[in-house]
Amino acid sequence: MMLLPCPWCGPRDATEFNFLGESRNRPDPGSVTIEQWRDHLYLRANHAGEVTETWYHRAGCRRHLVVVRDLLSNGVRSARSSYGSSVEASEEPQ
Amino acid sequence: MTGSESRRRRTRGYSGLALLRRGVAGGDWPVVWREHDLRRSYDVIIIGGGVHGLATAYYLARNHGITDVAVLDKGYLGGGGSGRNTAILRSNYLTPEGVRFYDRSLELYRGLAAELNFNVMFSRGGHLTLAHSDTSLRTMRWRAEVNKVSGVQSEVIGPEQVSRLVPAVDVSDRPRYPVLGALYHPPGGIVRHDAVVWGYARAADHAGVQLHQGTEVTAIQVEGGRVRGVRTPRGDVAARVVVNATAGWSSQVAALAGIRLPIQTFPLQAAVTEPVKPFLRTVIVSGTLHVYVSQTARGELVFGASVDPFASYSTRGSLEFAEGLARHVLQLMPSLSRLRLLRQWAGLCDMTPDFAPVMGETEVDGFLIDAGWGTYGFKAGPVSGETMAELIATGQTPELIGSFGLQRFRTGALVGEKGAAAVGH
Amino acid sequence: MTRRPWRAVRSTTPRGDPGWRLPPQPGEVIDRSRSFTFSWNGRPCSAYEGDTIASALAASGVRVFSRSFKYHRPRGLLTASFHDPGCMVQVGDEPNVRGAHRRAEPGMRVSAQDAWPSLALDVKAANALVRRAIPAGFYYKTVIRPQRLWPAYERVLERFAHGGVVPDSPEYDVSDRFDQRHAHPDVLVAGGGPAGIAAALSASRAGARVMLVEEEADLGGHLRWGGAEQLARLVELRRQVADSDVEVLLDACVLGRYDDNLVSVVHRGLPGIDERLVKARVGTLVVAAGLIERPYVFAGNDVPGVMLSTAVRRLVNVYAVRPGARAVVLTANDEGDAAADDLRRVGVEVVHVEDARSGGDIVRVHGRSRVRGVDLADRRTVACDLVVTATGWTAPVSLLTMAGDRPGYDDAAARFVPGRTSDVVPTGGLVGDGTLDELLAHGAAVGEAAAAGPDHDEREATGAALRPRPHPALFRGRTHGIVDFSEDVSSHDLVAAVDEGYRDVELVKRYTTATMGPAQGKLELVNTVAIVAEATGRSIAQTGTTTWRPPYAPVTLGALAGRPREPRRLSPMHGWHVAHGATPLVAGAWIRPDHYGDPGGEASAVRSSVGIIDVTPIGKLDLHGPDVARLLNLVYVNRWSKLPVGRVRYGVMCAEDGVVLDDGVTGRLGEDHYLMTTTSSGAATVWEWIEGWLQTEHPDWRVHVTPVTTAYASINLAGPRSRDLLSRLVQDIDLAAEAFPYLHVRTGTVAGVEDCVVWRIGFTGELSFEVHVPAGYGLHVWEQLVEQGQDLGVRAFGVEAQRILRLEKGHLIVGQDTDGLTTAEEAALGGLVRVDKQDAVGLPELVVASRQSPRSRLVALVTDDPDLVPAEGGQIVGADGRICGRITSSRLSPTLERSVCLGQLDSALARPGHRVTLRLVDGSTAGAKVAERLAQIDPDGVRLRG
Repeated sequence: MMLLPCPWCGPRDATEFNFLGESRNRPDPGSVTIEQWRDHLYLRANHAGEVTETWYHRAGCRRHLVVVRDLLSNGVRSARSSYGSSVEASEEPQ
Repeated sequence: MTGSESRRRRTRGYSGLALLRRGVAGGDWPVVWREHDLRRSYDVIIIGGGVHGLATAYYLARNHGITDVAVLDKGYLGGGGSGRNTAILRSNYLTPEGVRFYDRSLELYRGLAAELNFNVMFSRGGHLTLAHSDTSLRTMRWRAEVNKVSGVQSEVIGPEQVSRLVPAVDVSDRPRYPVLGALYHPPGGIVRHDAVVWGYARAADHAGVQLHQGTEVTAIQVEGGRVRGVRTPRGDVAARVVVNATAGWSSQVAALAGIRLPIQTFPLQAAVTEPVKPFLRTVIVSGTLHVYVSQTARGELVFGASVDPFASYSTRGSLEFAEGLARHVLQLMPSLSRLRLLRQWAGLCDMTPDFAPVMGETEVDGFLIDAGWGTYGFKAGPVSGETMAELIATGQTPELIGSFGLQRFRTGALVGEKGAAAVGH
Repeated sequence: MTRRPWRAVRSTTPRGDPGWRLPPQPGEVIDRSRSFTFSWNGRPCSAYEGDTIASALAASGVRVFSRSFKYHRPRGLLTASFHDPGCMVQVGDEPNVRGAHRRAEPGMRVSAQDAWPSLALDVKAANALVRRAIPAGFYYKTVIRPQRLWPAYERVLERFAHGGVVPDSPEYDVSDRFDQRHAHPDVLVAGGGPAGIAAALSASRAGARVMLVEEEADLGGHLRWGGAEQLARLVELRRQVADSDVEVLLDACVLGRYDDNLVSVVHRGLPGIDERLVKARVGTLVVAAGLIERPYVFAGNDVPGVMLSTAVRRLVNVYAVRPGARAVVLTANDEGDAAADDLRRVGVEVVHVEDARSGGDIVRVHGRSRVRGVDLADRRTVACDLVVTATGWTAPVSLLTMAGDRPGYDDAAARFVPGRTSDVVPTGGLVGDGTLDELLAHGAAVGEAAAAGPDHDEREATGAALRPRPHPALFRGRTHGIVDFSEDVSSHDLVAAVDEGYRDVELVKRYTTATMGPAQGKLELVNTVAIVAEATGRSIAQTGTTTWRPPYAPVTLGALAGRPREPRRLSPMHGWHVAHGATPLVAGAWIRPDHYGDPGGEASAVRSSVGIIDVTPIGKLDLHGPDVARLLNLVYVNRWSKLPVGRVRYGVMCAEDGVVLDDGVTGRLGEDHYLMTTTSSGAATVWEWIEGWLQTEHPDWRVHVTPVTTAYASINLAGPRSRDLLSRLVQDIDLAAEAFPYLHVRTGTVAGVEDCVVWRIGFTGELSFEVHVPAGYGLHVWEQLVEQGQDLGVRAFGVEAQRILRLEKGHLIVGQDTDGLTTAEEAALGGLVRVDKQDAVGLPELVVASRQSPRSRLVALVTDDPDLVPAEGGQIVGADGRICGRITSSRLSPTLERSVCLGQLDSALARPGHRVTLRLVDGSTAGAKVAERLAQIDPDGVRLRG
């Protein structure tokens, strides 16, 4: 399987990670309408190209990561900590 | 609709006698389907030349007399999910709406060879879903009981009956996840997937539908909330109705009409072994081990698994899949260690949140959708075609697909097939 | 039939005729000092060490090795290599063994696979008579009506399934004959011919860790059947490899290249095992796969005795086997010329050489079980028993295409060449033709660049370029013949498919099954493409090629599976359970005691006295920090902000869509310290889910989560005497009801073990203490409880008794009494939900659910017949026969002496006293009514709180 460049652990086989889907902003549950909420729950861009996703390094540092990946080739462009830009793995050669 | 008694010209010409005659006297077979110039306008355009799109076209012509129809495919007919699935047919679903829907599909499949004058080689060896835990045994019972209420043959059986049906399955307590029982569904089986595609394509062509291969839709024209037509490299084409009957690319096609879908696309891998002499007539599925196995008339074992663990449009496949598959198959049938894997491949599956399809109308008038088929699209081909054709012809959503509308993701009325999520295929 | 083919076979295969084995050849790999016998179709065959099955048989005069798939035509050697479609054989229990590759071994039992009753007399050969009536795809056109004949016809088709036999007894287990290995070479070279050897050597000299993988049993590629000078060079190359740090894998084959250069290799011929799968994460993959000789398509091209030039050269030079007595050679290249020379050198009469470079051609081979003669283009017929073709090459580009390379078609060379669009680097014959020195130079340059890393691309700057040499475009001659030998597909079939309208090469492939058989296109793909191109009037480049799929060569399921490794989780008390007769229950990762022989008795003991159950698998999370209460408020549907220290609360978690996810109790052990429990099956999911909320939505919250599921052994004491029992082991906790009420938690010492957590909860509905003990002391505490409780009648109880007890009490199990869409309202847990929170997981859905009536509701059902235990999963039907609910849990209650059930029922019907109809498994029906409350025992919780 492809490698994911974990900013904490280094490049690791993708089997070590859990895929959690497209990264999306969670609407404020206090002000959102139920229709907007369900769009958030169910609708996906499902873009055939570069996508920003959330992954969890289950068999490693157990950190959530923000991964930019090309869904056509599985080429991983970058992976960084979900805490922000504090740690970022270098761009992987395609 | 479904029971239409209209006697239109049936496709004929294939038979054992015809084969023999040509064998003796020679002579060419008629062309299976014709090639056409793309017209500027059709009544109905169907995007996607797989079993869903072709069946829709066929039933439009056959049941409703609508023949001003074009099926457009960016590649060759049946090159997507229709040609990459493992061709398992069954109707033992969990929800009453699922059972009714798939049972109609199975009924159509049973008559399909005669209907299309094309032997689709439906081999009805039965379908076994193995249970390795009391939880899955309970779900099997649930499915069996729902099936029986709906008149579908389905029964929970014990390990010794499993062993009698398929002696190669290890029903001892040696495996890590011993076989505790199974859901046995005698009407299930396997079919030759390409034959279904070609049979529908040939019959649709004979009925007057135009099939256009190598014709990609690059834009969909929408004006005032109504679909007007599509754009292709071969020119713009106007249409009253445009149907998105694609798989793997349904989100991209829907986006052309400005519609977002509750779909994520995942690769589903499959593999085939070298041929060996027949020993397995029944389809075997294990939800716990994420594997399903059948043997074709050619002697090959066909394996499938659950979808890949992450979304992707890549169909390159992975080694982990092949390893996991082998591990799980050998847990079920340890004597196959020396059988060799010949080829692995992948198709794209459009997964919805509730493991049920998205069928019917959208907020764009005239733009219909038949997508979100996950790992169960092939089984549903005939009934999807029949119901989508009825929707196009009558403007009324048939009751069989009433639960599958896009709107349910707004109302929250999701389909309960998710309850059996662990036991797909 | 006037001729009897089996006779012909016998007359040309004089068993043991020494004439077929040549005198010693310079490059032969057989050891003539070591001979042995194996059996072929039950008769002995002698072999030398180093012989393949096929070379030994050929040396014994065997010419027919198998029967073809559809027409059961006799088949002999074609390529004399791994991919030879004509000699797949059964070896003992192993099907589809490549007879031209597998080394013969003493005592081996080898048999032909597809002949009945025998190879010489195969009755299915009658198919050939009606050949014209069974063209490719014929089955699509037959037995359409009547459909009832189809199953019988299916059985007939099945009899023609090609291939060997696998044992079907589950007792047959040879999993220990397979193995796996991980490797991380900087450079992996696929192919041990001269270019591959040179690449490996130069990469190694440049400091890279190199793995060199060769399909055959020896390095050298085509040098192995070369002349004296080439053999001398090969000896030198092998010496250099032996002196280097290159790791050589012989009888191994690269199967696939996956994302990020994960390369799979099958390693065969190792002592003690059948196959080993090597999984290599490779820096640079160099492909030096050489070229595969392409068969020529003409009438009779599958008659035994028609061989490729490389097959002849292997047989003569490597195995010292005489392939025939009188040969006709069709040559378009040096290899064909060399084959003719080889034949002459060893005394085979080369009666005619037809040179395709100057327009020569052969039209038709005569014979059935052996070649009797050949028609040349000038209409002469030449008698012979061997026809050799050398008509061109196929570049095995599959490893390149797996990496994304798009090969292009080179018209002048009449073969596909790498497109060089991926990070996989080709060398050798794949790239072009050259002298040995040119091949070595190119390989060396590629190897050096590969050693510098995957990004280092100086391939073209080396000056060691290889170009494909022009070659006549020879695919099909002037007659039709077999294109796919494994599938028995002829060029006529391909043309007919195109004429019928299957014009795309993929459609032709699918319709005729060309390239779908065991050779997977290696021999037949380019011919298929060329014939389709010709039939459609397109060029080969326009026609394109079909996709190459992994694996490159077939690999056993055993090797892919490796050694079985299925971990199990066991509690510290597992040994005790086994010693006391527990029946194991597979519960996901855990193995738990289902019961100890008498679940009903175990349940009764809990109701009347005291029982203990091992609940170690319950998920446990230790939560520390000032923001834990905020976290609990977020992830649970109920309110948590005011839970005092020393208290325990039951909580329910829903997902963002409002569906019940998990449940459990959480206790507050200290100001900032909580212990959360989850269901056993949800332990990992809930932990990761909570980490997700903390890491992505609330990284500012100060909460530390530690999974402690296996750090503690957990024991539940349940029953009216549980306090008495526990009090015998506890000094520093006051267990009195007033001091330690229901839903409270204490920490203290149990049976001398410090730092235990004890809380009062009541899944069973009885007075109950759950003790979480540091895992290492679990067995000690368990044994103390058993010992100290003897006089109280303490009994260990298993999961089954617990299920009975909780059902009597009406406590639900998430995942059993709920499903993938069940909301808290539907689970009858709506009363817990607090929607007046700022935030909670799924809050908008919880709000909506609180306002509308649920679709269904969990209820307890009382059957009219007290002895009736309706099956779990059984349906509840309305008067119109429609489904309106289902039984989710059911057991016979030993205490109530009647059945107890929970079920999901349409909410309109879920009123106490409402009568419903149960549909039983046998199709009959039975009556039941909805109970007042979920709990059938102690509905007011008096026992629980005692």
